[in-house]
Amino acid sequence: MSGARDAILGRVERAVRTGRIPSAPPHDRDEDGGTRADGDARRGAPDSARLQERFVLEARALGVETYVEPTAAAVCDRLRTLIAGLRVLAWNPDGLPYDCGSIVDGALLGSSPRADQARAEVGITACHGAIAETGSLALVAGPGCSPTVSLLPPFHVALVRPEDLHERFIDFVTARADALAQSSNCTFVTGPSRTADIELSLTIGVHGPGRVAIVIGP
Amino acid sequence: MSGGFAQRAREALGNQQLHIALDRTTAQLVVRRAAGLASLEDADRVRDRARASKMQLLHTLADSLRAFEARLVENGARVHWAETAADANRIIVEIATKAGVRRVAKSKSMASEQTHVNGAFERAGIGVVETDLGEYIVQLAGDRPSHIIMPIVHMTREQVGRVMAQRLAVPYSDDTQTLARYARAQLREEFLQADMGLTGANFGVVENGAICLVTNEGNARMVTTLPRVYVVLMGIEKLVPTMADLDRFLKLLARSATGQKLTAYTTLVRGPRRSGDDSGPDQMHVVLLDNGRSKILAGETAEILGCIRCGACLNACPVYRSVGGHAYGDVYPGPVGSIVTPGIRGLAPFAELPSASSLCGACREVCPVRLDIPRMLLALRHEAVEHTRQPAALRMGLTLFARVASRPRLYRAATAVVRRVLRSRARDGWIRRAPGMASGWTRFRDLKAPAAETFETAWRRRAAGRTS
Repeated sequence: MSGARDAILGRVERAVRTGRIPSAPPHDRDEDGGTRADGDARRGAPDSARLQERFVLEARALGVETYVEPTAAAVCDRLRTLIAGLRVLAWNPDGLPYDCGSIVDGALLGSSPRADQARAEVGITACHGAIAETGSLALVAGPGCSPTVSLLPPFHVALVRPEDLHERFIDFVTARADALAQSSNCTFVTGPSRTADIELSLTIGVHGPGRVAIVIGP
Repeated sequence: MSGGFAQRAREALGNQQLHIALDRTTAQLVVRRAAGLASLEDADRVRDRARASKMQLLHTLADSLRAFEARLVENGARVHWAETAADANRIIVEIATKAGVRRVAKSKSMASEQTHVNGAFERAGIGVVETDLGEYIVQLAGDRPSHIIMPIVHMTREQVGRVMAQRLAVPYSDDTQTLARYARAQLREEFLQADMGLTGANFGVVENGAICLVTNEGNARMVTTLPRVYVVLMGIEKLVPTMADLDRFLKLLARSATGQKLTAYTTLVRGPRRSGDDSGPDQMHVVLLDNGRSKILAGETAEILGCIRCGACLNACPVYRSVGGHAYGDVYPGPVGSIVTPGIRGLAPFAELPSASSLCGACREVCPVRLDIPRMLLALRHEAVEHTRQPAALRMGLTLFARVASRPRLYRAATAVVRRVLRSRARDGWIRRAPGMASGWTRFRDLKAPAAETFETAWRRRAAGRTS
């Protein structure tokens, strides 16, 4: 096994001496070894109202339902309306903001039997980040936050707090590097599940949820 | 496989269904890509930096691989190295057998497509199912994928409907929403039953050992979340140095492939499930595959290892758009395939591929990493000529031409004869079939009839006109 490793690494080391690999012009390389994001120098931090506006705009363009609620009570009401009559699968209630935990009392959880989770009709999550530039939700797997919740049901409802918002992917990744390092799986959800494999015609809800709703609270 | 590409291309050109299917998609993808790139702030700069980081990575690939391996191990994954396709298949089947795996769910992976791992699983008595919608239909139809990101670009919706009706015993439909619903129902069971998930990798991040996977359907999420064993099969070149680089590549990949700002699901996997997690695999394995890549790195086409498999060069290529993916004879079609396939499988059986291009440069224009594809195609043509014995007629012909061309009077007399013969054969200014040895040239092209007057005489006449 280590024989293959050494053989491959040896070949690669010899290869770069003869291979025609264009050299990267110095001005295209990152001065700091690549950790700085594009355009950082001229960018100030946008205010949170602008971030939220952009996030909602991008999410809607993807076909995501978005609701902005003024109070925690309004968030809970909205959630109740959205999930009325549906079989619920949820992140652990203590992980949900705006005291929404009580609404999902008795719901299926990530620890429930797989077959039961697979029959859920709606999945309720919070998020670890929301990316304004792309309308994406960042969901970091961990205790009480099972990836199955945002994946198995045909409908996904996510609760977003204004402090979850980041302008760009790289801003989130930098700000939450510790959380990411402690998790085995981080997924960015950008709109509903889709395919265009057949004649490029857009088809929603192939394997993941075909319907995504985001409720933003105060 | 001599005559392979020409033969397959000829068949493809006569395939009406294929042209309907190709026309419905490739042109649209070109437009979407352009719109996608237009939505990226400072797109040229992002492309320059993405290219620079890939090329820099290739220069230091061995060290990057060692660092990546160390991060993977820290994350709790097991790392395997495979020199050949056969080695990779053996390693993967061994992992499966040891873990008592009976069913494998696969997310789209070009690397595993090329090692034919499905066959290896089947020979070991292990069931395997493709879960990308397009790949699933390819598997049902016993067909082969014909595009890097759109595996069934060669099929019409009617054909897909017939395959599903036959193989799944569902009512025929040509409505894509219905067809997708059939697939969802079938594959949902497969995801829940599978003991092992197998994916490729869109990117491996050196600084933290993350495996990055992007899918629009969510199948990569399923196979990295539900089965108890998870295996990644990735080429050794699929690394990016940092998360900032990954950010850049993600922006470029989705835009270049489909025009989206970001693919619907972008997943970063960092090892098996951690304590307290309700889901995720118990064990994770990463198989690093060479299979000819280090050989490519050593030669004239090393640059192609910077390819991120977006498929933009396929959609832009006039040859691909006319003949489709199957004519290229292996897993990677189009301009990128004409370089990767000879690199991995050997130039001799695929010596025609570098010539399956008009060198128009559209591929280089759309490549997110600005790979100089025409230069590499020329390098391979050169290599093909150097390493294969040319026909005796061609060698004699060239010797004869050298003799004639170096004797001005003889040259003038000879060209006068040739011109007269060719002009006598022309119709409407074009020669459709040239005589004698030249007939080979007109087998695939028309030849413009020579002008009534040679350049030389025209030049003399003009020079005389000016002085008088």
